[in-house]
This record gives sequence, structure tokens and C-alpha cells, in this order.
Amino acid sequence: MHRYKFVLYRPIQFLPVLFGISIVTFVLVRLIPGDPARVLLGTRATPTAIANIRSQYGLDEPMWLQYFYFVKNLFHGEMGKSILYKIDVLKLILTRIEPTLVLVLTSVTLSVLIAVFMAALAARNHGRFADHAVRVVSTAGIGFPPFWLGLMLIILFSVNLDLLPVSGYGRTLGDKVAHLILPSLTIALSLSTVLTRSLRAAMVEGLRSDIATAARARGMPERVVFWRHVFPNSMVPTINLLAINIGWLIGGTVVIESVFAIPGIGQLLVRAIFSRDYMVVQGVAMVLACATVLINLIADIVTVAADPRVKL
Amino acid sequence: MSAPVLAVTDLTVTLNRPGGAPRLLLDRVSLDLGKGEVLGLVGESGSGKSLFCRTLVRLLPSRNMQIENGRIMLGEQDLAQASETGMLSVRGGRIGMIFQNPTSHLDPVMSIGNQLSEGLRYHQKLDAPAARRQAIAILRQVGFPDPERQFDAYPHEFSGGMRQRAMIGVALSCNPEILIADEPTTALDVTIQAQILQLLMDIRRERGLSIILITHDLGIVAQTCDRIAVMREGRLIEQGRKRELLRSPDHFYTKTLIGSHPSMPSPAMEKKALTSPPDFRATRDKPLLKVEDVDVCFAGAGSLLGKQSGSVRAVAGASLEIMAGEIVGIVGESGSGKSTLARAILGLTPITSGNVTFDGTSLRGDPGAFLAKLRRETAMVFQDPYNALNPRMTVGEMLAEVLKVQGRIPQVDIPARVGELLDLVELGREFAERRPRSMSGGQCQRAGIARALAVNPRLIIADESTAALDVTIQAQILDLFRTLKEKMQLTLLFIAHDLAIVRNLCDRVVVMNRGQIVEQGTSLQVFEDPTDSYTQALIRAIPDIDPDKSLLPLADREMA
Repeated sequence: MHRYKFVLYRPIQFLPVLFGISIVTFVLVRLIPGDPARVLLGTRATPTAIANIRSQYGLDEPMWLQYFYFVKNLFHGEMGKSILYKIDVLKLILTRIEPTLVLVLTSVTLSVLIAVFMAALAARNHGRFADHAVRVVSTAGIGFPPFWLGLMLIILFSVNLDLLPVSGYGRTLGDKVAHLILPSLTIALSLSTVLTRSLRAAMVEGLRSDIATAARARGMPERVVFWRHVFPNSMVPTINLLAINIGWLIGGTVVIESVFAIPGIGQLLVRAIFSRDYMVVQGVAMVLACATVLINLIADIVTVAADPRVKL
Repeated sequence: MSAPVLAVTDLTVTLNRPGGAPRLLLDRVSLDLGKGEVLGLVGESGSGKSLFCRTLVRLLPSRNMQIENGRIMLGEQDLAQASETGMLSVRGGRIGMIFQNPTSHLDPVMSIGNQLSEGLRYHQKLDAPAARRQAIAILRQVGFPDPERQFDAYPHEFSGGMRQRAMIGVALSCNPEILIADEPTTALDVTIQAQILQLLMDIRRERGLSIILITHDLGIVAQTCDRIAVMREGRLIEQGRKRELLRSPDHFYTKTLIGSHPSMPSPAMEKKALTSPPDFRATRDKPLLKVEDVDVCFAGAGSLLGKQSGSVRAVAGASLEIMAGEIVGIVGESGSGKSTLARAILGLTPITSGNVTFDGTSLRGDPGAFLAKLRRETAMVFQDPYNALNPRMTVGEMLAEVLKVQGRIPQVDIPARVGELLDLVELGREFAERRPRSMSGGQCQRAGIARALAVNPRLIIADESTAALDVTIQAQILDLFRTLKEKMQLTLLFIAHDLAIVRNLCDRVVVMNRGQIVEQGTSLQVFEDPTDSYTQALIRAIPDIDPDKSLLPLADREMA
């Protein structure tokens, strides 16, 4: 179908974006004071040893040449070698990607479910207690930073109630699920506040819209008016909002992985930054950039599927 | 008339604001609807006619409104007392509704066919395949040429007329006995309007449907209805059989309504007919505005890598001349290019080829001087009086701003000039302090005209300037234009889709169709003796207030 033609040519538009990101991350990571060789060898390392490491990883080359090698390697599907872990960056990322991927997927799903439930509850009781309660909670929720929310959830569910593990990531499926509940919930609660507010507003407007009036005039019960007509129409702007928040979500994942000690690529990124592991920082940044771009593409596809009027 | 299918007695609706005195919105309205009858409900905006119909199915627009008193007898059932669940089978199933704006009332993310199936499955308890078959049959009945394929299409893929057909189809899918049509053709072009009215009459005949037709246009009522009821300020002031009511209305307001219908020859028109219109062409003056062979093309939508999908020729080879002091009307249906031509004349849309000359300076000769002169000496009046005015400014500030920018009169004289302008458009001087929010549509339009006059224009272009107004207000604004023309030697280019208005106001008429000027001449000439077949069709489609000048071949089957 020609409405989905953009899926074919959109990746071409991604190329300049990724190129820009490669420059920014390359330069930014080198602007942090400090030196990977010194971090690796400790404060008492001899200048010769440091020079050796630097030449081994090509850090003594001029900046532009280093960047050239970085991009050249990228075209070969390589991201260089980690200074800290001594293995290929891509392999390193692949071993760490599963928890992050699962965390992002579950928290997005969860936040949409929470938002739809809360917004529907509020909109269908517009101006009554449930509506005010949802508005207060979602407004207050915006004020809570996710890491704080995460810590509070740990205190409540893990420390006081002893229902869920405090941190880490399991080996068996059941264990993994148990470990992911709190971090997913933390991200989902934070993200859903924004979604709830937008969705609630769209639903309230939708219930007053001509579409709803026309459906009521056909004798449709309020339940049908809401779920079959108002809900699909109000989801259209919310999908866009979700796509805009994807960047935030990925940034949030990095923080939350640190709070819950989940061995994902967020945690990998944080460690790499502290140890000035340039290759890993660049690699993870590129992967996250690709993910953001890809998720936006998916959001566009969903928008086109949800609204027959949209042409991209 | 057989026993009424719907009998309303003393229906009273109030608005109860918390902490305020209840306001009476409908005041003891009593009305009967016979089987197979078409009842025209007329009145201006705010008269309560739409509210009345929504009260019938108990869909009041606000929780604060309630039925205070009265009965709505549908057969043996009193809808005023019925339970909310009971109303679910009444709405759609027994009383269907169609609305003015099909675009906003159809669900944009649901296919047309599914919207029909919904009613079929819900009210007639059909299963999915049966509902689909039935929906396709209804689509065919309401005039979809290829219903099997169009079942899966979405509302935005259709024109306004087809969307209205779809909405009628959706109403029919619930198989109602009574259809309430709330201004069903107001948003449509005249030729499409005639088709939709024809469709409604056909459906009435085929299904024995009773119809309540809400409209502000007495022409439509005269052409389609059996009986007329007139509402004003929440009261039913008069009702009766169509011919009797149109011939000898009792109420003063009904008389005004009939008098302001644009198809009635106005006194000015009759005078003009006697003393043949001044022939502006005979005078040796050069035309004030000369449009020569203008083409306007729009590039088709292109994408980054996709090819451009061809260009659209919105105006093709348009030529016309306007003499000073003349009122020229451009008529045509939506998409005919009339607004584009006006924008091109004002230099708001670049022209592809051709030339525009305004009082000696031409666009091709010296574009800079041409535009500067145009901006100084022409002004525009827009369609939507509210949106064309800045809501944050008072009328006085708005006029003063224009005067200041023009810089022709000293700062100290501005307040006096603002007063003069308000006098000219017959608004009280106290309006200088008012903001659009607190003004009616007609008052806003007068303020918009005052703003146009503030530049002391030689030419005013009015784009559908009366289309959003009630008929009686429309008549007042047209009178204002006439007076201003006399007083100020204005030249007016009046763009409208409403032929009757153009006929009433303009000395000369230009008819456009698909970007081309198909006919131009004096109003009398064009309307009495059109030569072009499109113009003829257009004029035939105007619903005349005289029921004997039949618009629809089948409409005149009145109930015995």
C-alpha cells in the first residue's frame, strides 16, 4: 500500500541523523577530562606504560584520524575494542542488550496500559471524584523523578513487604520477570503521567465531539460510544506523544538500570563513561541512537495504521 | 393527516446553572409529525430548533439542561419519561438523525461500511456477513456508485456530498421511522444540495419515513416540506401547511423571514429591472481592475524522493474587467477557483501567466509598485467574522492600528476617524470598546467591514462575507454594502457560492466552473437568460421560495 511507502525511504533519511550523532558522541566523550589509559592503569602508572596503551588503542593518533577509523569500522560493522573489558564492543553490547530491550518493551506496554486505564477512568467520570483523583496523581507524578520513585518502590515492595528482589537480574525466566517488575513499573509510572494527561484531554474532548453525538444518536450505549469511537480517535495524538518521549524513556532506562543494578547497556554506558572507555561509549551511543530512530519509525507506522487520513 | 407518529405537547427545557436562575430554553413547544410527513422547522441560530430535536431523543448538549415539563409521545411511549436504557432502542432505531457537518460527525478512523454495519448489527441484530450485505445495499440506495469497494473506504476519501450520503446511510442502517435532518445541506454546494434533498425525498417515498427538516433556508422548506413550523427564542411562534404559511404568514417574524429570503426580488432589484442598469462599459473610463488571461497553477504534492504528482490548474485563462463604482459578483461552487482568483488579484497567490492591472499599474510592468498600490487601495472582508478579528483587541484598537499603519491621518484625529468608521457601518460608537467575543456574528462582520473601510479603499474584495450569517443578518449586511457603495463610490468584488445573494447585490456577475470563467454579464442577463449550460444548471438548483417553481421532480408529492 502506498501509504506505507515511507518505510522504504525513511531509513535513507536516517543516515544524516546517525552521521551527526557519531560526530557528537565522538567529540563529547573526548571532552571529558581524563584519559582511559590512566584510568585503566591507576595513578602510579609509568608514562611509558600509559604511552603503550595509548598507541595500542590508537589514542595517540590525531583526532580526525581517530574519527575516520571509527566511521570506517562502523561501515564494517565493528565498533572497536573495549579498553576496560578487552573484547569487541559490539559483542559486549550484544551480551548486555537483552535486559535493556525487555525493560524498554515492558515499560512502554505497561505505561500505555496504565495511561489508557487512568485516562478512561477520568474521562468517563469527567468532573467527578475519579477524574480529580487521576489529575492530581498524574500531575504529582510528573514532579517525582524516576530514580526516587524507584527507590521508594524498592523500600515498599522489597524491603518492607519482601515481595520482590531489590536489584539485579535473574537467570531463569521466572526470576527475570520478578527482577523486572519494579524497574518496569518505575519507568511506566513516570512515563504514563504524561500520557495520561494527554489521553484524558483527548478523551474528554472526544466524548463531547460530534462523532460521539452521532454515535449516541444511533442508539449506541455509552460503553460502545467510548471504546469504539472515542478511544481510537483519542489514541492518535497520544501515539505521537509517546514517540516524542522515547528519547526520554531511553535516557530513563540508563538511570533506572543503575538504580536497580540491572546488567543492561545503560549500566554498561555509565561504567564506560567513568572509565573513559571511549569505544564503548561511542558504540552504546550509536546503538541507542539507532534504537530511538527505529522506535520513531515504528511509531510512524502505528500512526499510519491508526489513522487512515495520515500520509507520510 | 393520519394519526401522528410523534406528538409533542408543552415541551419545556430549562438550563439550570448552579447558583443562577434557571433559564428557559424551550418554552411550551407543541408539535405533531404525521406518518410520511416532511416537517420544516425554521428559525435562526439560537432559536432552539436544534435543541428541540435533540430533546426529542433526550440528547441534551449539557448536563445542566433538563426537561422541565411536557410530553413526547412516540406511539404509546412518552420519551420524556422513558428510561435511559429504553432510549437506546429509540435513538437510531426509531428516530434517526443526520447533521449539518458530515465531516465531523462521521468517525474518521472507521470505514464507512463499518459505521453502517454498526447500526445494522446493533439494532437489527444481524451477523457480520448479513450486515455487510445489507450495508452495501444501503450504500447503493443512498447513491454510492460502487458500494462493494466503497464499503471499506474512509470518510476523508469522499467529497462533502458523498459524506452526507454516507451519513444518511448510517442513519438508515438503524431503520428508523422518523428522520431528523439538522441543516443537512447547509455546508454543501447548491447542485449537491439539490441532489441530497432529492435523495431525502426518495427515501421518504420508499420507506414511508417521516422527516423533520431543520433549516434556515425557506427555499428548501418551500421545495420539500409539507408543513412548516417557525421557531424563535425557544418558542414555536407559528405552524401550518406550507402554502398557506408562505402565502399569508400571521406572525411578524415569519414575514421578516420570508421577506429576507434572497430569492425574493428586493425593492432595489425591481427598480433596477425598470431602469436598465447603468452600462459601465459605455463610459470611456478605463477599468479600475483588469484581469487578463490569468492562470494559477499549484504544484502537486511531492516528496523527498517521489516524483511530483502533476500540477493543478486552479484558475485557467481568466479575464475580467471591473469599472470603478461597480459591484461585481464571482459565483461558483467550491473548488471552482473563485477564491484563488481573488487571492491572485490581491497578489496573495503568485500567478503562473497572464496579467493584472489595477488603476494603471500592472503586475507584469512593475510588481513592486503594483503590490504597494494594491495594499494601499484595496481591502478584504472575510468569510468568518469571528476568526478574522483579533480576539484580544477591541474594535477601536483594531481600527486605530490600521489607521496608524496607513499613516495618512495625524495621530490626534484617529479616535474621531474610528467613530466615523463605526457610523459608516452602522455600529454604535460604544462598540469601539468591545471585543469580538461579546459581539454577534453580524456585528463582527460590520467591524470587519469597518476595518476594510479604514484604508479608504477603492476596491473591496468580499470573500463569502455573508455565508456564515443568518438570513435576516445577511440581508442587513447586503443592505450595508449597497449603502456604502452609494455613499463612498466603492467598487466591490463579491465572491459567493450563494447565487441568490449575488443576484440581489451585484451589477455584473462572473460565473466560474473548474477554474474557468464560463459566463459573465449583467445580473439580469445572467440570471434571467443564462447561455452557458453550467450556469443554467446552477440557477436551476437554487431552491425557490415559491413552491410552484419546483426544484425536484418528485418533491412535490404533498401529503393529502
